[in-house]
Amino acid sequence: MSRPVDVEQTTTEDGFDLVIHAPVRLRLCAALDPVREIEFGTLLTLLDISKSALSKHIAVLADAGYVTQRRAVRDTRQRLWLALTDTGRSAYRGHVAALHRIVGDTRPQNPRAT
Amino acid sequence: METNGLISAAEASAALTSAKQTRARVAWTGYPAWYWLTTAAGLATTPFVVLLPDWWDLAAGLPLVALLFLVAVRASRVRGVCEGWTGTAMRWWEMGLLYGPPVVLIFANAVVYRFALWSPILAAAATAVLIFALFAGTARRLSARATRP
Repeated sequence: MSRPVDVEQTTTEDGFDLVIHAPVRLRLCAALDPVREIEFGTLLTLLDISKSALSKHIAVLADAGYVTQRRAVRDTRQRLWLALTDTGRSAYRGHVAALHRIVGDTRPQNPRAT
Repeated sequence: METNGLISAAEASAALTSAKQTRARVAWTGYPAWYWLTTAAGLATTPFVVLLPDWWDLAAGLPLVALLFLVAVRASRVRGVCEGWTGTAMRWWEMGLLYGPPVVLIFANAVVYRFALWSPILAAAATAVLIFALFAGTARRLSARATRP
């Protein structure tokens, strides 16, 4: 059974988010969800992907309004910090809840237990 | 196979596992070794702080807490992860596993001291060694687990 997709928000009625669902973007959101922000270099190590691939996925999430970027200088080097926006966090949690429903787990989801 | 029209249950399950593993990596990896060792040492000094008379325990405890806080901030910068003042990527059970035994030992040592059940210095020394070993060992084990593919 297919669910209607809200093109504007790229989510189905049950919270399944097409922007987040791509494997790397899902892991990117999973990394950003429990924290305030993560540095670009740390994300590269955590996700184990190339700089260009990470930049591409960040751009997609930023275009959707899910991720914000902040530049800050530390140890004379400019670093890029990334954070989920409120919209992004709620979309990610909705997506995770939708995934739980698909696997048949209908218990209310605690974000700390994801 | 059950699907929601977009993905199957198996794919959803794989996606959830991948998200779970990523969260665990954020929670446990990237910490410099000195962070775990310094925090373990800081917690291990608590049984000795309890032995101090009058208000000296509080006077010694506050700088200790401040020191542990600064170490945590420094480690956070080194890791490139900012968890915020109250947030953490660790789960409740993971925090319980890491901090629970040291807290229980600190209280047990305080009870031993309060009721003079054993030599206070010996009890504090034994508790300190246990706290250090338990905290550093658990941190090391959970970090290693999170980095496993």
